[in-house]
Amino acid sequence: MKKFTDFVFKFRMPIIIATILITLILGYFIKDLKINADVISSLPKSDPAVQLFNYIGEEYGGNQMAIIVLESDDIFKKETIANINNLTAKFKGVEGVSYVTSLTNVLDIKKTDDGLEIGRLIDEYKLPETAEELEHLKKYTLSKEMYRGRLVSKDGQATVLVCRLNDDVDRVKTTRQLREITQSAELQEKVYYGGLPFQLLDLQDLIVQDLKTLIPLVVLLIAGALALSFLSIRGVVLPMLSVLISTIWTMGCMSILKIPLTVVSDLIPVILVAVGSASAIHIISKYDEDHTRYGNTGAETKSAFSEVGLRVILAAATIIFGFTSFIFGSYLTMIREFGLFSALGVLFSLIISVSVIPAILSFIKIRDVRREKTGKPAIVKLMDWLGLNVLKHEKAIIIVCLVLMVVGALGIPQIKRKADLMDFFKPNSPIRLTEKMMKSKFGGSMPIQIVVQGDIQDPVVLNEMIKLEDYLESQGDATNPQSVADLIEEMSDVMGEGKKIPDNKDKVANLWFLLDGQDEVRQLVNDDKTEAIIQATVTNSERMPELVKAVETYINKIDSNHGKFVQTGFPLIYQHLDESIMSSQIESFAYALILIFILLAFQLRSFVGGLIGLAPIVFAVMMAFGVMGFAHIPLDVATVLVSSIAMGIGIDYSIHFSVRFKSFYHSSATTLEALDKTLETTGRAIIINMMTVALGFLALILCSIVPLQRFGILVAVTMISSGIGAVTFLPALILLTKAGFMGKPKGNGSANEKEKFKFVFLKEE
Amino acid sequence: MKITNTRFLLALSAIVIFTQCLTQAQPLNNPVLILNKVDDVINAPKDQDYKVKLVLIDSKGNEKEREMSMLQNGSDKRVVKFLSPADQKGIAFLSLPNDMMYLYLPAFKKTRRIASHVKNTNFAGTDFTYEDMEAIRYADKWVPDLARSENNKYVLQLSPKAAGLSDYSKLVMTVRADNFYPERIEHYNKSGKLCKIMTRDGIEQISGYWVCTESQMEDLKTKHKTRMIMTDMKLDSGIPDDKFTERFLTR
Repeated sequence: MKKFTDFVFKFRMPIIIATILITLILGYFIKDLKINADVISSLPKSDPAVQLFNYIGEEYGGNQMAIIVLESDDIFKKETIANINNLTAKFKGVEGVSYVTSLTNVLDIKKTDDGLEIGRLIDEYKLPETAEELEHLKKYTLSKEMYRGRLVSKDGQATVLVCRLNDDVDRVKTTRQLREITQSAELQEKVYYGGLPFQLLDLQDLIVQDLKTLIPLVVLLIAGALALSFLSIRGVVLPMLSVLISTIWTMGCMSILKIPLTVVSDLIPVILVAVGSASAIHIISKYDEDHTRYGNTGAETKSAFSEVGLRVILAAATIIFGFTSFIFGSYLTMIREFGLFSALGVLFSLIISVSVIPAILSFIKIRDVRREKTGKPAIVKLMDWLGLNVLKHEKAIIIVCLVLMVVGALGIPQIKRKADLMDFFKPNSPIRLTEKMMKSKFGGSMPIQIVVQGDIQDPVVLNEMIKLEDYLESQGDATNPQSVADLIEEMSDVMGEGKKIPDNKDKVANLWFLLDGQDEVRQLVNDDKTEAIIQATVTNSERMPELVKAVETYINKIDSNHGKFVQTGFPLIYQHLDESIMSSQIESFAYALILIFILLAFQLRSFVGGLIGLAPIVFAVMMAFGVMGFAHIPLDVATVLVSSIAMGIGIDYSIHFSVRFKSFYHSSATTLEALDKTLETTGRAIIINMMTVALGFLALILCSIVPLQRFGILVAVTMISSGIGAVTFLPALILLTKAGFMGKPKGNGSANEKEKFKFVFLKEE
Repeated sequence: MKITNTRFLLALSAIVIFTQCLTQAQPLNNPVLILNKVDDVINAPKDQDYKVKLVLIDSKGNEKEREMSMLQNGSDKRVVKFLSPADQKGIAFLSLPNDMMYLYLPAFKKTRRIASHVKNTNFAGTDFTYEDMEAIRYADKWVPDLARSENNKYVLQLSPKAAGLSDYSKLVMTVRADNFYPERIEHYNKSGKLCKIMTRDGIEQISGYWVCTESQMEDLKTKHKTRMIMTDMKLDSGIPDDKFTERFLTR
């Protein structure tokens, strides 16, 4: 360590210059950093349900529907119909839109007096104009199952324009274009934007908005907290500088590797602000401490750094390991990327803390006489008080903490899970309002799909499809089932055979001839007629898993000679996501816990020490779970990260505290003295860091994305509880168990504490 | 004075000769005339009897074939019978003047009058819409404008005579100058974007008429193509009128 310190001091100028250069270069690349709000693209390609879902997207013109809803007291008005016609034509011309379905271009199969008519519901070249024509259109449209509740609400007050988006295009761009076209039409009708593409577009805009407002806010809050704690400019500027540089480096690397920012990884800057500042805080704190002790000799920087450097490295290494737990245990690729780049970011901030910060500190000549001389600052007084009480009431502290942990654990069974995209938005957001309206007028907007393989022209297969559609509808939550079988039934009806699937294949083939090449058919059957899809929309509810199961059971019972039926779509994928949240929570928690224990035990050279070091972390995680259970904060894509992050950050406290306490223990006359010294020095740094981090994360409450709000609250809770745990619970446990790893207090004739520290921990030298 | 007169006459004759040369190099520059000639050439035979092979080619290059026989009398009576694939054999269409169209479905043994006023609906899985299949004189629907003439070709730009007449906003038609046969038509959609291209190969003379024996329509958006190959072509064979009846459809 000393060699490294000498190296840093010798090359302090080149280090600073190199850092500036790297920062400028990587900073330049940030301009290319993309944002990807699409949760779907983060689904693992290895999941068969996801594979099938993507396959449908490729084969049937995309499976994402951008839905524009027009609402007024009566949509069967001359102007409204003209507006729909106008929008339909414009939407069709947008690149990336494969099909548009609206009132003015939907396929219509009509029985006429002497025959049949296959055409459009409304002739776009002869739009209905008179009151009579409009009334007739309304009656006819609402009388047909094909349109009622699907294209037009049953009350005739709302209608949808559905744009199917290609899979291989920039959907955000396409969706934005659709919105711009609609907005520029300046419609009289009330307009809603629904369906996944619009939800993702909103989400993307929210991410950008959040980044713009949150980062400055977090920076300001943390700067304030640092200023209050350190009462010096360097105490504010240096930790912030370390965070800024490491954030720029991380974002630059993401951009170069073409990894976009997602709903989860937009937390990385906030995480780095919180975690990345810790290393710098400890180094500056130690520097201040030594400066007070040795005066302005110029050697203080070097000494501060040599001693604290190892602790900082050990702590950062542990946090990095904590983040890597996401790389292995996660279902969503965006969470893996988050783990990877958070780890990288922490590594960067570590590098900066041990090189650039000391290099800068070595240039600073401190003129001010420490304020302690005119009286101890509040934080030190607090620490003194704390030391005394921990010593006095060690047992009480342990009991209180244990009780709190039990209470927290009781909350675990109450924790709910949420995998639903809707849950990302605030209750009054336009997306949630649209969903509510869609639910009441059209019955949900989430697609469920069943792929049918077999001879689709075979009446047996078609009848099986109709039966499955009926079954779906009988489930209550699924509405508007649709397949090519419905069109065949309609056609049979107009041929005068009744609304049913014809009894032989030749008849089906004859009817099919008229449907061939229609947009509606291309979205439902493949070209070879060997595969078709049944689709329905599902109302998003707690009952979704039951629906998935019911459909699964139903299709498993279908005679395999009647076609092969496979389920996919959102309900199933959400269920997989939901299951994965639980399993990745357990996996990454266990992984991080074991890793941290090994590192702690190794650092303290003691098995018991490792266990005791874990105590404040387990305490903090239990507090977080308790809050989740009792305050009804669900596990979601963001909060699932909390326990591992809390462990990573919490371990920092445990390492710094126990290592420092151990060294003071050897050099102090009494236990109280050792505890006091630890609390006044490292304890102070811990409390500063705790307040800074908690404050930073609390700023997330102002996020527009709900899971991130929850995440902020929970991390703040865990930070405060692990910080407090580290300065109370941890020393109380050490004192109570009189843990052997602490060794013996002064009296065995050891030299000054720093030498002792080196003896124990720096055997490598 | 005399000299001046002679000079004047010389100059005048030079201009006349020069103008004549110009006119010979550009035999026609009246777009309406060109389009009328196009219509005349395409609709020249009194009746037509031929087989059509339809090749449907999807974006991945997979091909599917259909065969049908076609009888046409003048420009407004037409019978189409499908010969293959097997499950479509016997399906027949009859189109008569005034938008009267009949459909025969053999599996049902029923004829139904079918109204398909919809221009932009694709015909039987091809890339041709009902509008593309219309037997109509271009000049009745479009206003031509001569975009350029080059290499023995005229390039006409056609705009619809009235709004709502066509699903296309314009057509760009390349016409052979020697026989006025259109060999390429670019179709532009309502937002003014090129959406489909029709090309005609195999423009040849049969029984004294210029006909096209192979054409192709490509949809640029779906990247789907339809090739139409005409064989066994008989022109002016005197097809009797009773072939263009409902009863003939069922046979």
